[in-house]
Amino acid sequence: SFALLHVAVQGTVSLQCSNVRRGFHRAALLRLASDSKSDTSVPPPSYHEVHTAGESSSSSAQGESSEDAQPNTSFQDQSGEHGEDYETEEQLQARILTAALEFVPQHGWTVEAIAAAAETLGLSSASTGMFNNGAGDLVLHFVAQCNAQLAETLAEQNNQVQLGQAEAKKTAEFLKDAVETRLRMLIPYIDTWPQAMSILLLPHNIPDSLKHLSTMVDDIWYYAGDRSTDVNWYTRRAALTGIYNTTELVMVQDSSPDFEETWAFLDNRIKDVVNMANTAKQVQATGEAVVQGLMGAAITLKNLTGMNQRR
Amino acid sequence: MQRAAKCALRLDLSRAFCLEVNVNVCMLKSLPPPRDEEEKAMLDSMLRVDHAGEYGANRIYAGQMAVLGRTRTGPLIQYMWDQEKMHLEKFNEILGEHRVRPTLLLPLWNIAGFALGMILTRIEGTMSCTVAVEESISEHYNSQIQTLMEAEPERYTELLQVMLLKNFVMMKKKNRDTGLEHDAESVPGYLLLKTVIQVDCKAAIYILQRI
Repeated sequence: SFALLHVAVQGTVSLQCSNVRRGFHRAALLRLASDSKSDTSVPPPSYHEVHTAGESSSSSAQGESSEDAQPNTSFQDQSGEHGEDYETEEQLQARILTAALEFVPQHGWTVEAIAAAAETLGLSSASTGMFNNGAGDLVLHFVAQCNAQLAETLAEQNNQVQLGQAEAKKTAEFLKDAVETRLRMLIPYIDTWPQAMSILLLPHNIPDSLKHLSTMVDDIWYYAGDRSTDVNWYTRRAALTGIYNTTELVMVQDSSPDFEETWAFLDNRIKDVVNMANTAKQVQATGEAVVQGLMGAAITLKNLTGMNQRR
Repeated sequence: MQRAAKCALRLDLSRAFCLEVNVNVCMLKSLPPPRDEEEKAMLDSMLRVDHAGEYGANRIYAGQMAVLGRTRTGPLIQYMWDQEKMHLEKFNEILGEHRVRPTLLLPLWNIAGFALGMILTRIEGTMSCTVAVEESISEHYNSQIQTLMEAEPERYTELLQVMLLKNFVMMKKKNRDTGLEHDAESVPGYLLLKTVIQVDCKAAIYILQRI
């Protein structure tokens, strides 16, 4: 019957997209409420039930707040009693995805990992229908989680520096440490990371992955002390994005112990950028000095030839 | 000579008003942290445009100084330029504190502002350009004030104060300039120039809010 359910899922999904998924979602949510109430295993929803749920939600295609018809009335009392424990959709999704990370080494960044996690949480594996983007949702959730962790770490370090408990690092060292901290979060999943990277490059995932990347780079520079409000704002972030992406690529095919080669590569890239910034400053200063010198020479010439005299 | 006298009067009044605005801009301690994405986006674009405006004003004065630096009005323009520099510094601080992205067009604005400043010194005699520019900017501030008031006036009291004061200053200037504007209207092509400038200002504001 689970196979039948699986086929039913595939069939309906191919016909109607998000409306059916919303129906599944509500069914899954209410199953969670009812599951934790009853010890006996609840029979999986039959094809008819699933289809009805799909139809009732597709008939009211307005939005999230649309009310379903008959299948849910019997569940409403139970979910009502669960008032305080009822979590939002986002919280539930986050919980499932976090649990799914454990299954990634085994199943890869796929819907199977999500399904396995849903089962360990006591949900039916059909609750993967909640995730419109499938594996993309899992990867993006992981990236967001890592970035949040990084921001927390940087804020904590910043706090310590403000309180005088720690010394402020120089920019190059700070950047190196921040990028290394962030990349080390990939180590448990490094074998399957190429798959995750290719998922992030899918066209419908690119806006989100770019947003995460730019937020992370902005965070790192903010805590490194960058408060520039001119073109430097853009050049610095572009440089760090380049460093991060190339180091990530190197890390994925690095086989040295504890990724020593990766950190050496990172060190060199950061040195390059810092050198370039210094060179640019020097060029500008030299240029200004040269211009001043030329103007001085011109005025001297004018004086010599008597052109500066007033008549 | 009468026109020169009027110029001097206008510049004196500008100096007095600039000081007022300056005091309030420096008193702008900080804005409340944004509550959600929408509010952050709105504040972001407002601060970005205002910062670009200050930066542009800075460059315009630089351009004017490059041409008129050694004339009689030089010191006055230098004084007003210094006031604008203080505004710009304050806005730089605000941008850094609230992690607002500066506009990508700053280098372009740099050159354009300087060139505009130099051009303005040619046409400044009739005050027509400045009046047109200030009308556009006044309208822009008005719409920003409206947005903030519609959202929640209490949260943005300080920012509103600064904007209202700047607006007030510009409107006062405009009232006093009405007399001078009559002079300007005698210049052929004045209306065309005014329309062109106002359309340019609107386009610039639109672009700067987004990029």
